Amino acid sequence: MQDDIATLRARDFWGSLVLTGLSLFFLWRTFDIPLWGENRAGVSSAQWYNSAAIVPLGIFSAMLVLSLILMVIAVRAGGARSALSRIGIGWDGAEALRFGAIAVILFFYIIGLVPRVDFIISSGLLITALTFGFYRGEPRRMILSALAVAICGAYALLRHLPQAEWRAHDDDVLALGIWLGLTLWAAMQAKGDRVLKALPVIAVVAPVLLVCAMAFGFRQNVPNRGGLIFAQIEYHYYVTLRPLWRP
Amino acid sequence: MDFVLTQLAGFGSAMSALIIDPLTYIYLIVSVFLGITFGALPGLTATLAVTILTGFFGNKVPLDYSLIALLGAYVGAIYGGSYPSILLNIPGTAASAATAMDGYPLAKAGRGGEALGLTTTASFIGTLIGTLALLIFVWLLLLLSQNIASPEKALLALFGILLSGTLMSEDLVVKGWISGLIGLAMAMVGLDPLLSEPRYTFDWSYMLSGFQVVPVLMGAFAVPQIMDGMRHMELGQVTELKGRIVPNLRQVRRYLPTISRSGVIGTGVGALPGVGEDVAGWVSYGVGKSVSREGDKFGKGSLEGLLSSETANNACIGGALIPLLVLGIPGSPPAAALMGAFKINNIIPGPTIDPEIILRVVAIMVLASLTMFVMGLFTARIFIKILQIPKVVFLPIVMVLTTIGSFSVGGGINDLYLMLGVGFVAYFMNLQKFPIAPLVIGVILGSLFDETFRRSLLISNGDLSVFVSRPVAAILLGLNLALIASQIPLAKRMFQRLKRKAVS
Repeated sequence: MQDDIATLRARDFWGSLVLTGLSLFFLWRTFDIPLWGENRAGVSSAQWYNSAAIVPLGIFSAMLVLSLILMVIAVRAGGARSALSRIGIGWDGAEALRFGAIAVILFFYIIGLVPRVDFIISSGLLITALTFGFYRGEPRRMILSALAVAICGAYALLRHLPQAEWRAHDDDVLALGIWLGLTLWAAMQAKGDRVLKALPVIAVVAPVLLVCAMAFGFRQNVPNRGGLIFAQIEYHYYVTLRPLWRP
Repeated sequence: MDFVLTQLAGFGSAMSALIIDPLTYIYLIVSVFLGITFGALPGLTATLAVTILTGFFGNKVPLDYSLIALLGAYVGAIYGGSYPSILLNIPGTAASAATAMDGYPLAKAGRGGEALGLTTTASFIGTLIGTLALLIFVWLLLLLSQNIASPEKALLALFGILLSGTLMSEDLVVKGWISGLIGLAMAMVGLDPLLSEPRYTFDWSYMLSGFQVVPVLMGAFAVPQIMDGMRHMELGQVTELKGRIVPNLRQVRRYLPTISRSGVIGTGVGALPGVGEDVAGWVSYGVGKSVSREGDKFGKGSLEGLLSSETANNACIGGALIPLLVLGIPGSPPAAALMGAFKINNIIPGPTIDPEIILRVVAIMVLASLTMFVMGLFTARIFIKILQIPKVVFLPIVMVLTTIGSFSVGGGINDLYLMLGVGFVAYFMNLQKFPIAPLVIGVILGSLFDETFRRSLLISNGDLSVFVSRPVAAILLGLNLALIASQIPLAKRMFQRLKRKAVS
């Protein structure tokens, strides 16, 4: 309990430093907004009490004061002294690896894969990587899963950075290949484990159902409509299936 | 009397319109089932259920069905949290934390069926009490709120954020307030509501329209939950369910005073802006412990203890909808998600809300609680099976749901970047015990506060006395100041000295 409080106060010390810095930065940015009835292109802007800067000024000033109060509380409780110690950081190697692997997977999924790779493939890969990687808490599996998503995401991101290139399919093929490879590896490791055995089915069915419900049920936009698999589903839905009930 | 009859007639016609529509039942059954499932799975919360469904149903189906889906999930999820509390000793949602204190000992003593049955009944009655309060008080408050102008609205929004920050903080109150301020600061991004002056846009056109509510909600509630939940955890053995679930009437009648008291407490706590079901559960549990004849048995398997928290957390739902519908200030974190759904449907909760919508909300709440009651009594064993699914299986699916839901509301990739950014920040805030609910409430109320605060100053030509010259504004200003002063050590000491003097 004492250790928890010590960790918390050390983190509060870091937190208060970050918050103080952010408050000062945004206070400085706030002065870009006309406050005292300045003229812009010969037009007088509002009075101080109607300025767009007045509320943000209050918010960031209050945040600065509260950050300083938090810093005082943290320093008084010994947070500054233990800020760089093991207690202060409060994370061991295993937790850092777990967080790092998840952060890498989510980052490359959202930033690299979702905009550029077929949604079914990228989501299937995500489900396989997260479930296989974190199911038993084994560090090797976490690293392997994070690597699988990072390779696909980094390739898509670097190879097709501008939006004009998002329709290309080479990243879809790479992601599909790595997804299949990871699935096979997971199946080999399953050894009678029900969760890992069911994983390929879940990884395929869940994204297919969700994307089809969203696109055809709710008629909403879905990420990467021209993706390798979804484009085929969409084509056959409108050309082959839909004429059956709406000729 | 006329008022009551008019109310009942309006409620009757809203109810009959829902009952004759077959689609109502499909939405009700699916949403309540999903809600109970979300509540029953430890690691998923009621707020997450409402947030994710907002992404799916928010603006894609007619408002009536959207409301059925969201309210059904809300009612179901708050109730569903009781399953793991009773059978696993792990609260499914924060709202059910107090339930585990007595629920698990009861299940271990072979009274799990009885505990679940009574919990289901109490949750049902609790929801009805909250809904009744919603039907009655919302109208009285709506009449009063016609006199509420910009100064009162600004102070009320501030009060909601401060109160939420004060009551939702696990650690230091200052963290809750900082969290609220971060939310307010996020709401300042984009074109300002009065002069269309760009603020903190960094020359990025996406930022001109400000932060969208749904990606912020998804990021704040879903992403940290996924990041924190993805760890190996051996679920304890689910305690075998013994005894019949359907409760006998005599027992229900015996505990009716406890249920009624807890229902009233839950509704009252829910009506406080920004305070959620977990606080309602604990407050009611605390009151129950001090007034009950079997108070010494609380925590050791007392049915009264169990019912105190479970009735209150469900009653809180109706209470939380009162400030949301009357003032546009969410009464709890799931209500904040609900407000997001209203916003994307271009409905502005507050004094100008269409009264028909309130009546429909009440009718939906009654139907949702009835569906929850029937499902809880007759399909409990399905939910017990669902309890055994490991977190690492369903959380990745939740991530996919979150992504597609967030994308479809705004239709842009930038919303996903926003969701991820907010998610990482919220994860670290969680780690440092900064509550997330005040942040979300700050984001939602930020533009209201900004607009009404500046409008007040504009109409008074910058005269700050506009916040004290109106009676309601003066009271609200006093409440805000008292709330702040109550956390200042010097003021606390003075108050204690005064109290001691008064006693002696």
